Amino acid sequence: MQTLTNFLKTIFLVDLLKGLWVTLKYTPQPAFTFQYPAERRPVAPRFRGVLRLQVEPATGAQTCIVCDQCAKACPDDLIALGGHREPGHKIKVLDYFDFNLSRCSFCGLCSEVCPTKPVKALIMSEDYELGSYSRESQIIRVDQMYDGVPIEQYTH
Amino acid sequence: MGLIDHRFEDNFITTNIDKILTWARYSALWPMQFGLACCAIEMMAAGASRFDIARFGAEVFRASPRQADLIIVAGTVTKKMAPVLRRLYDQMPEPKWVISMGSCSNAGGPFPTYSVLQGVDKIVPVDVYVSGCPPRPEALLYGLMRLQDKIKKESTVLRKARVIHSGDSEPTLVEDRS
Repeated sequence: MQTLTNFLKTIFLVDLLKGLWVTLKYTPQPAFTFQYPAERRPVAPRFRGVLRLQVEPATGAQTCIVCDQCAKACPDDLIALGGHREPGHKIKVLDYFDFNLSRCSFCGLCSEVCPTKPVKALIMSEDYELGSYSRESQIIRVDQMYDGVPIEQYTH
Repeated sequence: MGLIDHRFEDNFITTNIDKILTWARYSALWPMQFGLACCAIEMMAAGASRFDIARFGAEVFRASPRQADLIIVAGTVTKKMAPVLRRLYDQMPEPKWVISMGSCSNAGGPFPTYSVLQGVDKIVPVDVYVSGCPPRPEALLYGLMRLQDKIKKESTVLRKARVIHSGDSEPTLVEDRS
């Protein structure tokens, strides 16, 4: 009996049809693929992208107080910043903020220690499209720290 | 390709042949499997159906360097692995490109130690550096598109030297600002 069942199964290609049925079941489903350059997947709420300096949203004034905490917190010494004090003002003015992206492991310790309130001066932004042609362009200067790294648009 | 590489002056026919050849080059970049660390997981994710690197013609991850156009160095390159990487790069046929993926292969990452190569560009010429630790699959796709952009600007038959950037040292973080 067993051999007869096996023989009939082989004759009528039961196993093959079973496999094809699985393929057929998945065929009408919508495509799983995410069309990346055309649509951008929203990142997780605590996603850590490339570093970004923030300005005061209402006035556009500088929020960084040049306290050097982020440079001290960085485990790889990737941040160097400095400023000067204008006469008559209490707050320092940010002169340069150099961030070496090439070694950064996006741990977020620098933005965690940033003490400015209510607007954090240093945040981990949601930008992750980082691709550069040279080692030199991976050092982010202060103007790019405010505006973000330029992202090429490849949607055509 | 050795017969026609960079041998012709600029004219109507050569510029159009150049366009066709670069089109063929950037539309079928076959990468070589070179996953070394956690970045390789993201590289595999980019190859899987969710992100589908096949949309850019780069899905055929070859196990042999002789069939590959592109090497994605994904992960920490130790000094023990460096000669292997150089040998595999030498075995790849021209034209060949290199993507350095992740902070470790870009600059050594969080390992400034005796055993880790401080940047893969010390042994192979890197075309595109993709930053991230590890980069998202989208970031790798973005790096691939930047490489395709770069290939579009290169010439094949025209008499023009190919610009190969060779970073040999880590750039200084702060200049003298006295």
